[in-house]
Formats: sequence, C-alpha cells, structure tokens
Amino acid sequence: MLVLWALLALFVVFPLGALVARAFFDGGRFAPGALLAIARDPNHLRAFGNSLLLGALVGVAGTALGFLFAFTAVRVGLPRGWSAVLDAAALLPLVSPPFTTAIAIIFSFGPRGLITWHLFGLKGFTVYGLGSTFAAETLTYFPLAYLTLKPVLAALDPNVEDMAFSLGSSRRRVFRTVTLPLTVPGLGNAFLLVFAASLADFATPLILAGNDFPVLPTQAYLQITGLFDFKGGAVLSFVLLVPAFVVFVLQRAWVGRRYYVTIGGKTGAETAVKSVAGWARWPLLAGCLAVAAVIGWFYALLAYASVVVALGANHAWTWVHYRVIFTEGLKAIRDTLVIAGLGMPLGGVYGILLGYLVARKAFAGRRAMEVVSMVNYALPGTIVGIAYLIAFNDPPLVLTGTALILVACYVFRYSPTGIRTTVALLQQIDPGLEEASQSLGAGSARTFWRITLPLLVPAFFAGLGVVFIRSMTAISATIFLISINWTLITVRILENMTELSLGPAAAFSMLVVAIVFVVMAALSRLLRRFRTPGRVMVAGLLGG
Amino acid sequence: MPRWLTALGAAGLAVTALSATPGVGAESLNAYAIWPENWARPMLQEFEKATGIKVNFVRFSSGEALARLIAEKNTPRVDVLFGGPVETFAAGAREGIFEPYQPPAAAGLPARFKAADGSWTAIADDPLVFMSNSRFLKDNRLEPPASWEDLLDPRYKNMLQMADARTSGTAVTRIFSILEVNGRDETKAFEYMKKKRRNVQLYTKSGGGGTLPVGLGQAGAGIFFIVDALDTKAKGYDVTLSFPKEGIGTSAEAIALIRGAKNPAAARKLIDWATSPAMQRLYATHKINFVPAHPEVPIEPGLAAVLKGAKIFPIDEAYAGANRKRIVERWVNEVLNLKE
Repeated sequence: MLVLWALLALFVVFPLGALVARAFFDGGRFAPGALLAIARDPNHLRAFGNSLLLGALVGVAGTALGFLFAFTAVRVGLPRGWSAVLDAAALLPLVSPPFTTAIAIIFSFGPRGLITWHLFGLKGFTVYGLGSTFAAETLTYFPLAYLTLKPVLAALDPNVEDMAFSLGSSRRRVFRTVTLPLTVPGLGNAFLLVFAASLADFATPLILAGNDFPVLPTQAYLQITGLFDFKGGAVLSFVLLVPAFVVFVLQRAWVGRRYYVTIGGKTGAETAVKSVAGWARWPLLAGCLAVAAVIGWFYALLAYASVVVALGANHAWTWVHYRVIFTEGLKAIRDTLVIAGLGMPLGGVYGILLGYLVARKAFAGRRAMEVVSMVNYALPGTIVGIAYLIAFNDPPLVLTGTALILVACYVFRYSPTGIRTTVALLQQIDPGLEEASQSLGAGSARTFWRITLPLLVPAFFAGLGVVFIRSMTAISATIFLISINWTLITVRILENMTELSLGPAAAFSMLVVAIVFVVMAALSRLLRRFRTPGRVMVAGLLGG
Repeated sequence: MPRWLTALGAAGLAVTALSATPGVGAESLNAYAIWPENWARPMLQEFEKATGIKVNFVRFSSGEALARLIAEKNTPRVDVLFGGPVETFAAGAREGIFEPYQPPAAAGLPARFKAADGSWTAIADDPLVFMSNSRFLKDNRLEPPASWEDLLDPRYKNMLQMADARTSGTAVTRIFSILEVNGRDETKAFEYMKKKRRNVQLYTKSGGGGTLPVGLGQAGAGIFFIVDALDTKAKGYDVTLSFPKEGIGTSAEAIALIRGAKNPAAARKLIDWATSPAMQRLYATHKINFVPAHPEVPIEPGLAAVLKGAKIFPIDEAYAGANRKRIVERWVNEVLNLKE
C-alpha cells in the first residue's frame, strides 16, 4: 500500500503540485488575484456551463447506450457471431485516433457532406455546435460504459432473476426491481467515467464545437497554446476538477451503503437467462446494430480514404499511403508498440490492486486514495502533459525524453477504467467468500491470490485493455511528452492532418485499428482460458 | 514470489533500460521545428549533407512548441527553434527563452526580418492570399474574389473559413491587413469585419485549418498563407488563388538559438546556414512555396507568377506590437461573439 501511495504521490500529486506552484505563485508569493479574474471572465463562465451541459448529456447518453449494448450482449443470448459484431462496434470508437471521427462527421454531415448535401441536398446545413459534439463524444465514450457494465451484468446471477420470476413477477418488474438496481454500482461508475472523459476532452470540441459553443478544456488549451498564457490555462483546468469531484461524491453517496452482493458462493444449478422475452431481443439488437452501422460507416470512410490518392479530389486507387507509413512511419509504430506493451500489464495490475484496496480494505486515507487515483483522468490531457513536463524536466527526477514518462502518463491517466470496474465487481462479491478462506487458515495474500483475484480477472482485462487502447490512440497529454527519442503514431497522424495528408493519416488509423483488434482478440482468448469455474460469465469481454 | 510479481519486476527493468537516453554524437544538434515535417525534413537533411552535422528534430505547432520551450526553460532539451511565424518568436523573446545571436547574413536583411536584439532572424516571408474552391465559384457564378468587399457577397453566406485570432498568427496578420487597407481606421475596419462575420462558417484554431474544408468544398473560400494555399493545390484539390486589389499583408518565418543550448556551436552553424542563400535557394528545388527572406535569392518562377501583380505589404511591426492585444480582444468581443 505504501508503494501505491508513493507512486500516486510521484506521478499524480507531485506533477500537479509543480503546476500549481507555477500557476498560483509569482516569484515565491501566493498571487491568485489576477488568476481569479481569468476565471470570472464571462466567456469562460459560459464555457464552464457548456462543459457541464455537454458532460452531463454525454454521461447520460453514453451510459444508456453502454447499458443497451452490455444488456444485449449478456442477457439476450445472442449467437456468438452477433455478439462479436457488438463487441467490435463498441471497440471501434475507443480505438479511433484523435480527429478522425470528427473529420468523418464533417465529411458526412458538413455543409457539403456526403449525407447532408449529396444524399438529402440540404443547403447551408451547419454541423458545428452542441449537437455534433454531443453525438461524436457519445459515440466515442459509450464503450467506456459498456466495458464497465458488461462484467457487472455478466456477474449478476440469473438465478436472482429466476427467484423473482418464480415469485410471480413480470419481466418488466424484474428488470425494474432486480436487474437495474443490482447494476447501480456499475451505472454510477460508468456515468462517472463517461462524464469525466467528456469533461476532459478537448480534441472533439476543437474540431466540432464551432464558434458558438466554447467548452472549458478547449479554452484552457487555447489559453496555453494560443495566448501563451500558462497560468490562465492552468487555472481554467483546475476549475474542471470541481465538477468531476462533485460527481464523484454524488456517485459515492448514491451507490453508498446499499447491498449489491450477487456472488455469494452458495447458489444452485446453472440456469438459462429468462429475463428477456423472445420478441424483445429484436428491438434491442436493432438498436445496437443501428449504432454499430453509424460507427461502421465512419470507418468505411476512413478505410476508403486510406486507399485513394486524395479523398475528395482524386479517387484513384493506391497503396502508396501504406508504403509511406511502413517506411517513414516505422519508428513511430515501433515506439508506440513498445510503450503500449509496457503500459498494458502495469496498468492492469495497478488498476486491480488499487480498486481492491479502496473497495475492500479499511485504512486511513482510503477515500483520499480513491480521489487521487481519478485526478489525472479528470484533468484535460493538455494540463496533465504540461504538469509532467514541468515536474520531470528538472532534477531531482529527470524523465523527459524517456519512454518511462509516456508509460507513467498512460498508466496513471487511463487506469481508472480498471479501478472502477474492480470496485463495481467487488461490490457484487460477498466478502463472506474471502472471510471463509481466511477462517480456513489462508493468509490475506493467499486469499487475494486464490479467491479474489480469479473473480477480478474480467476487471483486470478491462483495465489492461483500456490502457493498451489509450496508449495507441491518446494524444492530448502525450503531445507534450514525446521527444526526439520517442514518438507516437497519434502524433504522426496529427502531423499528417496538418500537412493535409489525409491518406497517410487514414492508413495509420487503420493500422491502429488492426493492431488493437489483434491484441484484443488475443486477450480475449487468454481470458477464456482463465474463465473462473462456476457460473460467473466473463467470456467475450473484450471482443474478438 | 508469484509469477506476476516477477513479470512486473522484469517490466520495471525494461522500462529503466529504455529510459536511458541514447548517446549523442559529437556533431549533432536537437531542434523543435514548427514547419510541417515534409518541409523541415528535406531542409535539415540538406544541412547534414552540407556540414555533416546531424539534426534530430520533432515537429510541433507553434503554440505547442512555445509552451514546451517555456516549460523546459531551466533545462533546455533542444538547441534551435526552426521555422514558424515571427510573432511566436516575439512571444518567446518576451519569455526569455532565446539566446541573442546575429548570423552573418543578418546584416543584409531589411529591419523587419530580424529582431533588434538578435533573438531571432527571418528565413522566409509568407504573404496571405484568398483561396476559393473552384467548383463553388462556378456553381455560384462567382469570379475569384478580387477585393476585400467581394467576400461580403451574400453568396458566400456561411461558406467562409478562416483562422481564429486568439490562436493563429495567420488571423492576426489578416486583421492587421484589414486595418491597413482601411487606413488604420478601426471603426471602418471593424464594421467590415462584422459584416464579413455573417459569411463565416467557422474560425479555425490553426492558420491552415480551413484549407482542407475549402479543398473539399465544405467551405467556399478563405484567407490563408500562400504556402498553405499552394500546398492544397499541389495535393490535387481544385482551388483558385486570388489577391485583393486593395492589398494584403505578409508575415516572416524565423529561426532562433535557445538559451542554455547544449550544442551552441552546431546550433549557430545551422542558423548561419538557414539565414543564408545556401538554404533559401533550396526552397524552389523542394517545392516549398515560401518567399525567400534573403534579398539575393530569386523567387521561384512558378511562385513569382502567382504573386505577379499582387499588392503585398509588410505589417508594421511597431504598430502591430503596440496594438495587438487590444485589437485581438476587440475582435473577440465584437466580431467573434457578434450578437445579432
């Protein structure tokens, strides 16, 4: 536990402290006055309101969509082929490198978009604003909710629902009074993750929000990179921590002291899932497939862009973009794989250890640890990146220019999915299982290793998967951490976008998608081998 | 020890091994480039060919490069900031991140191509230009815009894209061009910009952000630096370039030595080379459409043909520097957030 605290102190508290020191102190004196003026600026206040609105909308819609997907995947009893389609559709947006979804949306729904203009002949259609930003972020972040909710729903014993059925409940009533309430920890965690992700996202609004819908992360980014105002940018970012913290507290209060145990280790025979009527499968599946079709369309567009000379200008067939990325881009590909490969196991282990500690162990500062572990996730990437740069550029700890700083940034920024999934799963597992093990003479470590850990395998893989995916796709923080020695595919994509080279950008994106799918499929096979005995359904968590 | 702990330990060791910085050879230097990689790379390779000094570089947008340099101020990671608009260098000089250095070529440059204290020197000049989507012009029976007034035509409604003055030097140069053609009469200039606002679909964050939308036809026209506009054309997009008869502004691109550079001797050689005709003659060879800053280097004939007859004026450094903050603030309040 001390090690965890030391790591959190080093990679979360210390960089943030260094940033605060730069932002709030002027030559050693505390000088918040001018900075408060920045926070009071009416334009920034409007941006703050917009951020909250957007975060709440995306949080609700993303959680709902994630629940729809998870429920359909776990409870409808789909044939394997269909659930693979759902998994794939849910993974795609997570893998989408920055800007590509936004570009696909503009290409489809812009003033001369394939759909708005060529298909429907709409004139002067404005794509920029709340609507498109909301849609793009919901599509991008609902997989977080899906990944959080699926293990929770899978671990929910159908026998519990059966009991309600045998007591004469209708399906609707079972769903409302049994299934849904037992999913509350998952729903709370999913909302928290999606809300925080939207709150911290600056890339999507940068492209899609337009002029009339400013949001705070974008303003903070512009304050730093546009107006060269370090302090102002830092202040705006700290403002973002407030709503993230409030949601966290509310979520704790809501999930709070209720009882969600469904894995008690003493239930009966296997049972078929009955909670979904035969006819209801089709609308559920149709809903998922509609979303999947939209996502599929964006990627088809991307795939097309990667094999034509210049999308929109010259549609002659070519492989040249792939040749470019495997020659000039080879170093970026290699670096990215090394960094993602290192971050993946570390992130997975860190996620379940921290999740286990805060969910199961009573110790001083438990809440504090839980909050601190969320901080890097809730802050806009730009800020985390700059904080790391300030903190680790000078002695005592010089990490800039190394791979370690990138790995650390990914692990501490993207492990909350693993942590939240672990917490949500543990709230369903009866502590009696662990107590039984201990009263039979097993030590605390052995109990964790033999009893808790196997039950946490799905959370481990969820956490590790997200860290890997994010290592392949994230950019906002790491743009400040790449160096002459270590560069990343996403930075190359951004570079290509700057050079108007849509082709190589699209080819890189397709490569990222391919790598992620191969790795996820391998993880999924591994997970199936790990499948815990008994009735805990955990198969197929991560696609493939 | 459980197996996963061993694995964790191994991963930790691997990280430590990887984090060691590779050794740097005797004749090499490090740089941040603001020019896109497909222009910076050939130039720096030519430098290596000419001098044997290897340049390791990473490319960032101007804002990101500057934010990084400021954060790294106490322990600089690079020796040179290569390319990028002069105003980024002016902001950097105010932050004290540059070491003044006057290359030999500076003596032959006009005053607007070098900082008075030597903190930066220009390597190129980059005029603004109107760029329109050719098909958009044809569909709307429009001639290529030949005057600032032409952009107020209602047929452009919601179809212009150009840069946001809060983040882009392109936009600042554009606004000062408008002030200049209106005889620095701010009331008149802002009246014009407010009228033009109705036709603007989007103010983009980067100067070249609107080039692809114009190329694709998502937007009809915009105002860009000529380098970006000609690059759009070279990529195969059917766009038309034109200049306003009232005239349009231009902005220089620069290079600077970083204070506390680890390889100052090599860095000075790069600056000497980049500010001299040795590098600037190569723009034409590599199809980089900057106007050379050095008076001895002729403009590439193709570029010269585009610029022929265009009325281009430099933005008055003293006037722009003194008024920039106020004008940008006024632009944000009155133009960007225009209430109708």
